[in-house]
Amino acid sequence: MEKDTYLKPLFKGNPITVLVLGICSSLAVTVQLKGALVMALSVTLVTAFSSLFISLLRNTIPNRVRIIVQLVVVAMFVILIDQALKAFSYDTSKMLSVYIGLIITNCIIMGRIEAFALGNKPWPSFVDGAFNGLGYGMILIIVAFFRELFGSGTLLGFQIIPQSWYIENGGWYANNGLMILPPMALILLGCVVWIHRSIDKELQEQ
Amino acid sequence: MNTNSNIYTIIYTTVLVVIVAAILAIVASALKPRQTANVELEQMKSIMLAANIGETNGQPDKKADFKKLYDQHITDTFVIDENGNKVQGVDAFHVDLKSQYNAIKNGGKLTLPVYKCKLDNGEEVTVLPCYGAGLWGAIWGYLSVKADGQTLQGAMFAHASETPGLGGEIAEPWFYNQFDGKTLADAAGAFSSVKIVKGGAGNDRNGVDAISGATITSRSLQNTIEQWMNYYKQILGE
Amino acid sequence: MMDYINIFIKSIFVENMVFSFFLGMCSYLAVSKNVKTATGLGLAVIFVLTITLPLNYLLYEYVLKAGALTWLSPNLAGVDLSFLSYIVYIAMIATFVQIVEMFVEKFSPSLYASLGIFLPLIAVNCAILGGSLFMQERGYSNVGEAFTFGLGSGIGWFLAIVAMAAIREKLAYSNVPKPLKGLGLAFIITGLMGIAFMSFMGFQL
Repeated sequence: MEKDTYLKPLFKGNPITVLVLGICSSLAVTVQLKGALVMALSVTLVTAFSSLFISLLRNTIPNRVRIIVQLVVVAMFVILIDQALKAFSYDTSKMLSVYIGLIITNCIIMGRIEAFALGNKPWPSFVDGAFNGLGYGMILIIVAFFRELFGSGTLLGFQIIPQSWYIENGGWYANNGLMILPPMALILLGCVVWIHRSIDKELQEQ
Repeated sequence: MNTNSNIYTIIYTTVLVVIVAAILAIVASALKPRQTANVELEQMKSIMLAANIGETNGQPDKKADFKKLYDQHITDTFVIDENGNKVQGVDAFHVDLKSQYNAIKNGGKLTLPVYKCKLDNGEEVTVLPCYGAGLWGAIWGYLSVKADGQTLQGAMFAHASETPGLGGEIAEPWFYNQFDGKTLADAAGAFSSVKIVKGGAGNDRNGVDAISGATITSRSLQNTIEQWMNYYKQILGE
Repeated sequence: MMDYINIFIKSIFVENMVFSFFLGMCSYLAVSKNVKTATGLGLAVIFVLTITLPLNYLLYEYVLKAGALTWLSPNLAGVDLSFLSYIVYIAMIATFVQIVEMFVEKFSPSLYASLGIFLPLIAVNCAILGGSLFMQERGYSNVGEAFTFGLGSGIGWFLAIVAMAAIREKLAYSNVPKPLKGLGLAFIITGLMGIAFMSFMGFQL
């Protein structure tokens, strides 16, 4: 297998910043790093396993109901993750609420199945799915890192900005409330794209 | 084999759906007891925290076994109707608060749960739930009232989807601990629900600090508490 | 009546699918390059949301919810199929979209030419599934409310994509830093529009 299978989804072919896939379901979970981590992990698992599964079935799927078959398989994995979270990590499942269900329509998964898994052997499909999930998770984590750090002064719930800096305690610092609001996720994402494309000039749009 | 024929398509989808449904049914029923236990534990934890049990310095105890605490401290549970009369044969713990909220809105028959709880110092408090709509989704919580029927022992709130850091702060200890020691009565002793007001409620007997930047969640919570306590005031202090 | 108006206004402005929940972003970004196609996709989304939401509501209330099957036989009161809800919703949406596509193609080729190409895109539009999931989470009390919510969110999405397309058409002539051109700027503008839409928050009739 070529090195590209691993590296491309992380940078040059990053599903979010380059392919513009899968933004929908998850920016809302980037307020806190923990949500973003769980979401990244769940999406990686679902993409990897549904790619594997579809790739195994690829020669038997009737073309006319292709999309529905894919959706059923993806939905099955999502429900498994949802059920497992509810049973073993109830707090996280409450935090992510409907966004776990929305993984089903995350375009990355369908995109990779259509573009890769339907025409490739199971193992490469699995790797492709997993690394696309990771490339996507990476962006989520970057956005969540800045939003939690500047919005709440914490990371994964631990206080990072010293308490003595805050105005309430006689300091000079205040959390940036704007970071917590949903639109900030998009603006940060825009900045990530900006930086990414400044480094990699080939990706710039004409 | 022709994978595009009608018969093949129909058989294929049927088999796939049956297999998927079977897998999911097995997993779901295997995990069901754990999930129900999680939900029930969460409810017990809320009730205990509202009575300030299982808290150290106002923070929930990470190691506390809330199921055990609940069994130890809750002495009696019952259900009342809209006139404050006890209703027989309804399990208070499993009353669906959301359906009660809808019934309050539409003026239907109510079955409101009441929990009697004995504190470590022997005092008895009454823990009462409330449930309403916040800015984005549902908010709910429990208030515990001392035997005088006015003084709050404590409170605890939770929400489905308020903004973290803004409306979501109602579920944080700094917010709900403010309710400790407040009263459900004005200076003359008449019933008056808790006011959630902006900017320093300080020593006000029934006011607490609102969350800055979350006016709507604060206001909804105030209305929700008032709405439910209006029914419960009939049985308080008895 | 007031309840319906409230849900309707709220789902268009306050709980806008794009600006508050980032749903349906993929097709929103891909198709918002000119107003005409954006209008086509927007209309298709309104249509599909308005129909599938009440249908999924009925499925949830009478088939999936814990104890929902009691109308069949009282013995089924203990059956809880809600774990199947995701799969049932998405299958419902995909099937509906496919049926509509076939009908439109057969009976109105002109409509198919303008709308048809967007229909397959819609099955995987998160705004549609999101609508059904929010409907379940918020627990609307009857079909009418679910219908109003579907219609409102559809219109909200339509507004968002048409407004965005109009802005992007103008942006084509602006001088923006090269790395920001296209996608990066689209994100930032959506964010700014989201902030503007936040002023509707707490809007209540």
